[in-house]
Amino acid sequence: MTTVETGRAAPAGPRTARRSPAGPLLAVLWAGAAGSVALWWTGTGSVVGAAGWLTGAGRIAGLLCGYACAVLVGLMARVPLLEARVGSDRVARWHAMAGRYTICLLLAHVAFVLAGYAAQDRASLWHETVTVVLHYPDMLKATAGTVMLVAVGVTSARAARRRTSYEFWYYVHLLTYAAVFLAFFHQLALGDQFNGRPVATALWYALYLGVAALVVWFRILAPVRLNRRHRLRVDSVHQEAPGVYSVVVRGRHLDELGARPGQFFRWRFLGEGLRWTSTPYSLSAPPRPDLLRITVKALGDHSAAVPLLRPGTRVWAEGPYGSLTADRATSHRSLLIAAGVGITPLRALFETLPGEVTLLYRARGAEDLALGGELEAIARWRGARVLYALNGPRGQRPEITAESLRAAFPDLAGHDVYICGPHGFAQDVYRALRAARVPDRRIHHESFEL
Amino acid sequence: MRKSHPIRRVVLATAATVSGVVLLLSLKPASDPAAAAAAGAAPQPGAAARPSPQGGQRGGAAAGTVTGDAAQTQYGAVQVRLTVANGKITGAEAVQAPKGGVSDQKTALAVPRLNQEAVAAGNADIDAVSGATYTSTGYKKSLQSALDKIKASSPGSGGETGAGSGSSGGSGSSGDSGAARARTVTGRTAQTQYGPVQVRITVSGGRITRAEAVQAPEGGVSGQKTTLAVPRLNQEAVAAGNADIDAVSGATYTSTGYKKSLQSALDQAGG
Repeated sequence: MTTVETGRAAPAGPRTARRSPAGPLLAVLWAGAAGSVALWWTGTGSVVGAAGWLTGAGRIAGLLCGYACAVLVGLMARVPLLEARVGSDRVARWHAMAGRYTICLLLAHVAFVLAGYAAQDRASLWHETVTVVLHYPDMLKATAGTVMLVAVGVTSARAARRRTSYEFWYYVHLLTYAAVFLAFFHQLALGDQFNGRPVATALWYALYLGVAALVVWFRILAPVRLNRRHRLRVDSVHQEAPGVYSVVVRGRHLDELGARPGQFFRWRFLGEGLRWTSTPYSLSAPPRPDLLRITVKALGDHSAAVPLLRPGTRVWAEGPYGSLTADRATSHRSLLIAAGVGITPLRALFETLPGEVTLLYRARGAEDLALGGELEAIARWRGARVLYALNGPRGQRPEITAESLRAAFPDLAGHDVYICGPHGFAQDVYRALRAARVPDRRIHHESFEL
Repeated sequence: MRKSHPIRRVVLATAATVSGVVLLLSLKPASDPAAAAAAGAAPQPGAAARPSPQGGQRGGAAAGTVTGDAAQTQYGAVQVRLTVANGKITGAEAVQAPKGGVSDQKTALAVPRLNQEAVAAGNADIDAVSGATYTSTGYKKSLQSALDKIKASSPGSGGETGAGSGSSGGSGSSGDSGAARARTVTGRTAQTQYGPVQVRITVSGGRITRAEAVQAPEGGVSGQKTTLAVPRLNQEAVAAGNADIDAVSGATYTSTGYKKSLQSALDQAGG
């Protein structure tokens, strides 16, 4: 079948996919939530009357909210286990889902505790709110933190995201760190479950300090070390297709990065117009010890500046991230389905995935096929197939359906299928594949739609 | 990539959370075992020394309670009960007061203040509580009627207690009386996680007329909590007359210590 030249292709990996740590990790996270509730359970004697119920509900919500805040920050700490094994996209979806839930818990905590205190003191809700905020220890800080967290939640809602820039959302989101820090102290000062319970207090400190350590290490120290060691600079920029450019980045000791085909880095080009944003771009070729290559479609306000990058521009990179790698393969046969600039990670995989590989490349027209020449060369060298799905002469789109896929690949269900392309395209392909009886575990995809 | 069902997810998450929390809350005992035991075991300090108003064996010098007529107001009846010892008002409480909604809040606001004023003034010439005019007026009416009853029942000491003789109504003159004069009892020190709490009460005529904390947690957060909780606990102790008082939210440990020490003081006063 395929003749794999030694030295260039990756060695034949194990045929069973490396197990994703997602399941055990989720179990640990849920156990932590149960533990937080257990803190309430063991620290509470009785629940008396309406005031007791309200305060109790508020405290449970508060404990869960405090726990969830730590988890939310931890999920976004760019821990390699999460980014490269569970998958950056999946972790981001967990973060978004848990974030929405946390904001609800936060509001419930505030409302129930205030209502419970007011009922106990037989005071008005307003009066009680003023008392709690102004006179209870650490409550001014906690109030400020609450306001910030709600602001973060509001600016992250889908409706708000559509109307604001990425940068605005990003910088508001950074407030989360301050908010979580400010809200931390009232938990220990006022949390009935921590009063005089050194073990509970120690566990809570361990949770928060542990997360803080992850953030400092993986979001600050690790990138600093990476960029000091590898000294990345733009080597050259080439046009691949109309509006699509490859950027070759030169650096030292790049083999130590452990980057694998299919993965991406977050890039920050220290040139004009690009300095303030870091953007994820996939490697479009297997990494070499001295060179990395990405391929970018110049469309957003940020990526439009990429073609103007001058050789020698310094580059700040964080990574490697992403789990769309050969680890996901479960069989000897792979089908890669790319649309548009989604070809980038699949181009790298096309060269390196062991076994029998076929590439299906969807583009508007022949002139839009980025990296076309390379793909043909790899196909010849590997003895692999490349199929194109281009628009017809009158602009009609080729249909990718269960039938057409089965016709082209009789043993479709025996393939691992990697998809990369715009979200709508990926969804259509996913549905077609499922209709063609490809098992879910064999469909590999990264989506940053939350 | 699997199809997501946002609505279903929201409904499920909400239902699971709410039912989980309700389940947890309902599994906890609905009454505070410690407080219930304290209330049940408490030898009500007033109980032994609280004969019916006219049945005082030692006439005017004995402690007794007198209940005034109920005074109707727009929002409900107000009825005042006075504790009289040695011809002086040592305690005042409202056995009836407007209830429900805003009235609850106003009652909560006004009655403790009116009680305090009544004891301090020794007559019905007390200030209305702003925002609770009707309750105040009803209170003064019922208070006056109670004072009238006292006057009628103990002619001997009537001049001293008389509704109009304000100048002798101060608390200073009670010191020279006999058995029923005010005495101060200090409870045992109750240890809490944050420091000792010790309560001193003044008992007069079998009723607590004053409560104060001679020791309470100090420093930092504990100091803030003490400032927050102790005045409220003092007020509650006087109002309740026993150790069955509500804990102040956010200061549970101080409250528990306070109740313990208060109970011990009551035990001493009762015994």
